Amino acid sequence: MSILSAENIKAYYKLLDSDVKAVEDVTFSLKTGEILGIAGESGCGKSTLAATLSTVILPPLKLIDGRLITEDGKNIFELKEITLRRKIRGKYLALIPQSAMNALNPTKKIKDLVIDAVKAHYPKMPKEEILKNSMKQFAELGLPSRVLESYSFELSGGMKQRSIIAISSLLNPKVLVADEPTAALDVSTQQAVLNLLVSLKEKGIVQSIIFITHDIAVLRQIADRIMLMYAGMIVEVGDTEDVIFKPLHPYTQGLISTVIVPEPDIKEKVLTGIPGAPPNLKNPPPGCRFHPRCNFAMPKCEKEVPSLFSKSGRIVRCWLYD
Amino acid sequence: MFYLATYFIALSLIFVIIRLMPGNPIDQLVARLVLGRQRGVAFSSVDKLYLLYIDKFGLEAPGHEQYLVYLQNMLSFNFGISIMYSPSTVMEILIGSLPWSFLLLFPSIIIGFVVGNYLGAVAANKKGFIDNVVFNLSLFLSNVPYYCLALILLYVFAFIYPVFPVSLGISPGMPGFSLTPNWIMDYLYHYALPFLSLVLITIGGQAIGMRVMMIYELNSDYYVYSKQLGLSEGKLVNYAYKNAILPQITGLALSFGSIFGGSLITEVVFNYPGIGLTLYNAILRQDYPLIQGCFAIITLTTLLANFFMDIFYVFIDPRIRAVYAGEKA
Amino acid sequence: MSKKFLVGISILLFFAGLAIIMPWFMPDPKDFVDVPWEPPSSERILGTDLFGRDVFSLFVNGMNMSFRIGILAGLVATAVGVVIGAVAGYKGGNVDEVLMSVTNVMLVIPTIALLIVLAAFLGIRNEMLMAFLIGVTSWPWAARSIRSQTLSLKAREFIDLSRMSGLSELKIILLDVLPNMFSYVFMCFALQMANGILSETALSMIGLGPTDIVSLGMMLRWALLWETVRLGKWWVFIPATIAITLLTTSLLLINTAMDEIFNPRMRRL
Repeated sequence: MSILSAENIKAYYKLLDSDVKAVEDVTFSLKTGEILGIAGESGCGKSTLAATLSTVILPPLKLIDGRLITEDGKNIFELKEITLRRKIRGKYLALIPQSAMNALNPTKKIKDLVIDAVKAHYPKMPKEEILKNSMKQFAELGLPSRVLESYSFELSGGMKQRSIIAISSLLNPKVLVADEPTAALDVSTQQAVLNLLVSLKEKGIVQSIIFITHDIAVLRQIADRIMLMYAGMIVEVGDTEDVIFKPLHPYTQGLISTVIVPEPDIKEKVLTGIPGAPPNLKNPPPGCRFHPRCNFAMPKCEKEVPSLFSKSGRIVRCWLYD
Repeated sequence: MFYLATYFIALSLIFVIIRLMPGNPIDQLVARLVLGRQRGVAFSSVDKLYLLYIDKFGLEAPGHEQYLVYLQNMLSFNFGISIMYSPSTVMEILIGSLPWSFLLLFPSIIIGFVVGNYLGAVAANKKGFIDNVVFNLSLFLSNVPYYCLALILLYVFAFIYPVFPVSLGISPGMPGFSLTPNWIMDYLYHYALPFLSLVLITIGGQAIGMRVMMIYELNSDYYVYSKQLGLSEGKLVNYAYKNAILPQITGLALSFGSIFGGSLITEVVFNYPGIGLTLYNAILRQDYPLIQGCFAIITLTTLLANFFMDIFYVFIDPRIRAVYAGEKA
Repeated sequence: MSKKFLVGISILLFFAGLAIIMPWFMPDPKDFVDVPWEPPSSERILGTDLFGRDVFSLFVNGMNMSFRIGILAGLVATAVGVVIGAVAGYKGGNVDEVLMSVTNVMLVIPTIALLIVLAAFLGIRNEMLMAFLIGVTSWPWAARSIRSQTLSLKAREFIDLSRMSGLSELKIILLDVLPNMFSYVFMCFALQMANGILSETALSMIGLGPTDIVSLGMMLRWALLWETVRLGKWWVFIPATIAITLLTTSLLLINTAMDEIFNPRMRRL
């Protein structure tokens, strides 16, 4: 019952002198009805992965390898542009981009974008019907109808974010990929956005959600499973509670220990970070990309890239779990 | 409003600067004639005309009175009698030449704008070979001064391959203006080269600018997002084009003055009977009333064009409209 | 190194070389040297004109003059523009409003028309005066761009530091703001110089340039007066035309190249 299945996705940024190996060998599957969180620090490849999934891959980004399988077994990456436009983009898989602030055309009203987006998939539907349906959907998501008649500069940051979410889910896509939807917002708006996303799934407007963020605390509230990325590769995948309280990969362990929890004994704990810095992806370290910063590094880690090992329902990319 | 004030200031500037400049011909003329009249010296017909002019415009009066008379005259379009073409008034001559200039100026600006922006958008969108060709060609074209291109075109097409006539607006012997197909054909025949001089350079300039603006829009976040929603390339380019053209219109307003200036000199090259040629001849013959009148009309035209483009812009850019709506509320 | 910059600079230097060095080797341009209307030959690179003067000599001397007027006009325009722009940008508030209003008014008035009228009413025109006039009518562009540069610099921290250490505003403008804008000032100058050359050419062509000089614009004027086009004597005006075009193009290329260097957003991916 996987609604989306990624296999060995490899995407690089092709620059003049070298390539930035932003996404390397990413394989995962998204189950129907689940919220999968993708976590990682800045520059780990999450947004590149999101762009790849949206099938709008603009230079200098280039898809080198990989397959993206729908629930019917079709490989999205092999479909023609026309099919992608009509059937996939916005309809099977929709993306909520990272900076909602700029994602709206400054000289067009929201309703214009809505009409164009719907017409791209249902060219025969009359405008009035489109407007009626979208007003209903917007209302259901808690957005007042005046939003449709507004220009983007007339809306606040939080409103813009929620409008984007509403637009992206307008065609009831099966998969919604949210790229850092809560990043630039204050805590109460963050909560509103999270509630919005969960309600989208509960009401059946979308089936599954991929939630990309650097904030693991947020994922704990909303995700069923968490996938961690580091330097373009997946390092750990598992159920949320398991990953957070029993992290297996050394990177995950380091990351979890940096999360400050408001509990009484936190004052006595010494905060440890992960020494070093993420590698330059033009020249990633050989073997496991985390080994230079890993306390448990073995000689093997320098030479061979660890494969994804299964361990009691979890997937870990580490030689420790061979 | 701003433009009214500017016109006012422009006229005053001219008045002040001319009167203040040492050795300016008006003062000299006035002095010579007034003195001569007092002594009863005989005058040429041109001198007589100047005397009349001095009387009518009170040039003998002290400075600030002159200023008021001047303003009054300028603002009511009473520019006086042309020395060269007396007894016709300056206004009559200007009205005669204006249509020719406008017929040359406005079509070339409009066509240059439309074609140039289209080419720029295509170049930005298609990239590669087309982009290279359009870019380099436009870069070169946009920097050629209007009159230089005029000379070259004249040389190539009127001398080497005599396709077009060397000068004038209409063949001698033809009536001043009429709507017969015959006349129109003849006019177009004379019109072609000056028109080309202006249009080609405008196209070049617009193409360069539009290309930059389009590239900016095609790389914007809203473009990517709309594409991710499944909109077609055609629709997306349409979005980008509509956004890119806005600053182009502002740019056009700003460069109107220089296009107009260039067209004036182009008229001189082709002996085309517009304001430019009129001004040129006025300078040659020292017909000062006519010179002043030409300046007033040229400035007025430029200011009006800017004014209308500003208003037009408010209607097409929703962001500016919102600012004005907000202010009114 | 940027290709555009190299191309621009080489063209500019080529013409500058011609303009500076060649006049020493050429006969006085006003001298009558040969039979009139001689086409170019191995002896006389650009032949002779209506009066029998050496066209090549006219050409290089003319270029020299055009350069001089262009540079002078450029300097005046840039100087005025920098002062007004920097003061307006730095002071802000009412000073800014007033200066900008003045600038906007000057911007909208058609420069060429203004120049034509001013030049027409002048009794005697010499090189300095013309360059000054051209400079004084074209400063608005410079003022605007310098002002926006000043505005963005004003927000940087080192200006605050200077303010806190009690430097007078004039000193801050001179010592902190201007040196950092040097590149922009230079770009401004390149544009103003191009504009100066174009304006002088335009004025000379219609007979309002400096009286009794030889410049590229004058050569075009003679082309008009003596019907050289109709007679097909291309060597009188074609080289001047091409020179003016290439000269202004080179200055604009240099300007664009510098813009790309200092503004990475302008670079095409």
